[in-house]
Amino acid sequence: MADSPALHAVIFRVGTLLCAAPAGIVREILPALPATRIPGVADSVSGLVNVRGSLLTVLDAFRLLGQQRNGEEGALLVLVVQGRTLGLAVGEVRDFVELAPGSVADQARLPGVDPAVVSAVARRDDEHFILLNLDALVGPVFGS
Amino acid sequence: MDLSKYAALFLAESREHLAACNQSLLEWERDLAATEPVGNLFRAIHTIKGMAATMGHDTVAALAHRTESLLDAVRGGRVAPSPDVVQLLFSAVDALTTAVGRVGRGEAEDDNEHGALLADLDAAAGAAAGPADLADQAGPADTAPLRSRLVEVVIRPMAPLRGGRALLALRRAEALGRVQDVRPGAHMFERDDFDGRFTFRLTGDLDDGMVEAAIRAAGDVEQVLVGDAVQGGSVAARRQIRVDLGRLDALMKQVGELVVARNRLADIAGRSGEAALGETSERIARLVSAMQGEVLAARMNPVAEVFDRFPRVARDLARDLGKQVRIDAEGGSIELDRAVLDEIGEPLLHLIRNALDHGIESPADRIAAGKPAEGRVQLSATRERNTVAIRVSDDGRGIDRAAILVRGRRDGSIGPDVTVLSDDLLLRILARAGFSTATRVSGVSGRGVGIDIAVTRARALGGTLSVTSEQGKGTTWTLRVPLTLAIVRALLAGVGDERYAVPIAFVAETVEFDARQVSAVRDREAMVVRNHAIPTVHLRREVGIEGNPPARRPGIILEVGERRAALVVDRLLGQQDIVVEPFEAPDGLPPFLGGATILADGAPALILDAAALV
Repeated sequence: MADSPALHAVIFRVGTLLCAAPAGIVREILPALPATRIPGVADSVSGLVNVRGSLLTVLDAFRLLGQQRNGEEGALLVLVVQGRTLGLAVGEVRDFVELAPGSVADQARLPGVDPAVVSAVARRDDEHFILLNLDALVGPVFGS
Repeated sequence: MDLSKYAALFLAESREHLAACNQSLLEWERDLAATEPVGNLFRAIHTIKGMAATMGHDTVAALAHRTESLLDAVRGGRVAPSPDVVQLLFSAVDALTTAVGRVGRGEAEDDNEHGALLADLDAAAGAAAGPADLADQAGPADTAPLRSRLVEVVIRPMAPLRGGRALLALRRAEALGRVQDVRPGAHMFERDDFDGRFTFRLTGDLDDGMVEAAIRAAGDVEQVLVGDAVQGGSVAARRQIRVDLGRLDALMKQVGELVVARNRLADIAGRSGEAALGETSERIARLVSAMQGEVLAARMNPVAEVFDRFPRVARDLARDLGKQVRIDAEGGSIELDRAVLDEIGEPLLHLIRNALDHGIESPADRIAAGKPAEGRVQLSATRERNTVAIRVSDDGRGIDRAAILVRGRRDGSIGPDVTVLSDDLLLRILARAGFSTATRVSGVSGRGVGIDIAVTRARALGGTLSVTSEQGKGTTWTLRVPLTLAIVRALLAGVGDERYAVPIAFVAETVEFDARQVSAVRDREAMVVRNHAIPTVHLRREVGIEGNPPARRPGIILEVGERRAALVVDRLLGQQDIVVEPFEAPDGLPPFLGGATILADGAPALILDAAALV
């Protein structure tokens, strides 16, 4: 991926994983909001939250990535994925970064993480983080 | 003067007149000796001709002129009414509809398209009608001497775009002779305070009656006074304007938001206990309620707008199927929100097609069964609580339950233990996509998609579809829809620490459920309410909440058509006006969740779909 242009990304923590989402699809970063549970749907759906008078369906990044919650309050990312505006409940939001070409490695295997949801693994300073394939991560929740 | 801004008016009115033409033709077809439909047809076509000529739509004007000539010949007894003449006039009305449609889409008029039809119309009229003489609005030219007279025109107070109408009337007058001294001037027609009344001096060679007829042909003319009779007078003006539906939609959405904000304010005021805040909140609540009522009223339109489309469609279908069918409508004056009205046309059309194709028998079969050859389809609308029930009934052969049972067993949708198909079960099977017992696919219906679509649409509207059918006697489909979509009155129910909204439209009453006093109906738990066993639905179980609620707790009796169920909840939390809010629905959303909303305290809540619970 040496020829790729620089990539802007939002970096956040989900359990023990450090994750990144392309900045272009992140509409907003909000503090965590209490969600109304939706019965009958997948466990990875936290429920509905009210964002300034509109309903947002929130997915739980911890459940989607098989991570334990350790009581942290966390944040809510408002994303646009496959034309849907939805929320992703994550842990602490760490940073907004510009990744230089070359710092992004091709898809790599990480223990305990479904390789389908990983676009790439990148390194910054001494930390590795997962550039998430959000289509693959949230698509199944909506049957696509 | 620029007429282009009256294009929309021309289209709307032409379509209304053409719809009226179809109604008159249907009436006339049933009784060829009747004269009233011919008169109505003549007037409608005459008005279309006048408007089209004024607007410069020559193809429409020429078609209308030749149609009018044939009607005039029938009216004058020179041509005998016959099924062929009626059919030719149906074709003419269709051609006019096409031509008006072209005008609406801004397409070029095609003079040659209707050549054959024009020739047929001329041939039927018996005399060479000659080229359309559009200035001749009211019959053969008169030889009255040229004279000048004062004309006063009053446009109907209820007429939309009165200014445009006045201008059209003036144009008609100008086609008759020289027009002078227009008062108030035509530029005043545009003003808000123009009351629809104007005078002018006309110099021409027509007699007064013809002048009046020609001006009246502009449409929406309440009064034309010619000559000395012209005096002042008062017209009770109820002022109206036409509003773009998009504006009403935006207004409705904002009022919806306002209702939510009002609820939130009332909640905050209640908690704070501050008197001044409480008072202001109450005042705002009253104002918002009044405003909500006004906006809702502005959006209401009569069901007849949808009903009126069907007789003509049904007639053509019946012809194709070789059947005789009469379609009648009642309750057309009952009003529904524009948005609901726009959605019910298609499901009703499917139900009517079904009635014609599968319900009504062929004339021979009907006579053999001791019925009149002509089948009947009855459309009706009735208000039921906060919903409107629209019924499509036929007096045909009824649904063959035995055939459906056989078919359902074969494809596994009906268990072997089922021996009798209840109306509910019947609907559930018919509504399955692709289910059809029709022995042939007729192109009209029979692919089994109609009922499926009707059920889906009904549910999308927060309504229901139900069916009753008796073999040999007929079938009745009932489509129940809410009066409006935007704001729903709901009862809030709590289970565990969750809250759900139940639309009041389907709540018959609330009762007390006692777990120690339940009975059973066909292996289902039921509770007895005034000697009737009503099956229970436990909301805790439906939404997957564990734990032991108290033995005595509220039951909400849901009523959807004939079906009832007691929805058992932990507690009732009062009523609220709620606005249905869109959200991205995850896969696997249970059918009993009909939508979502934001409650007064700002928390989201899910809305239960009564039809899926009973």
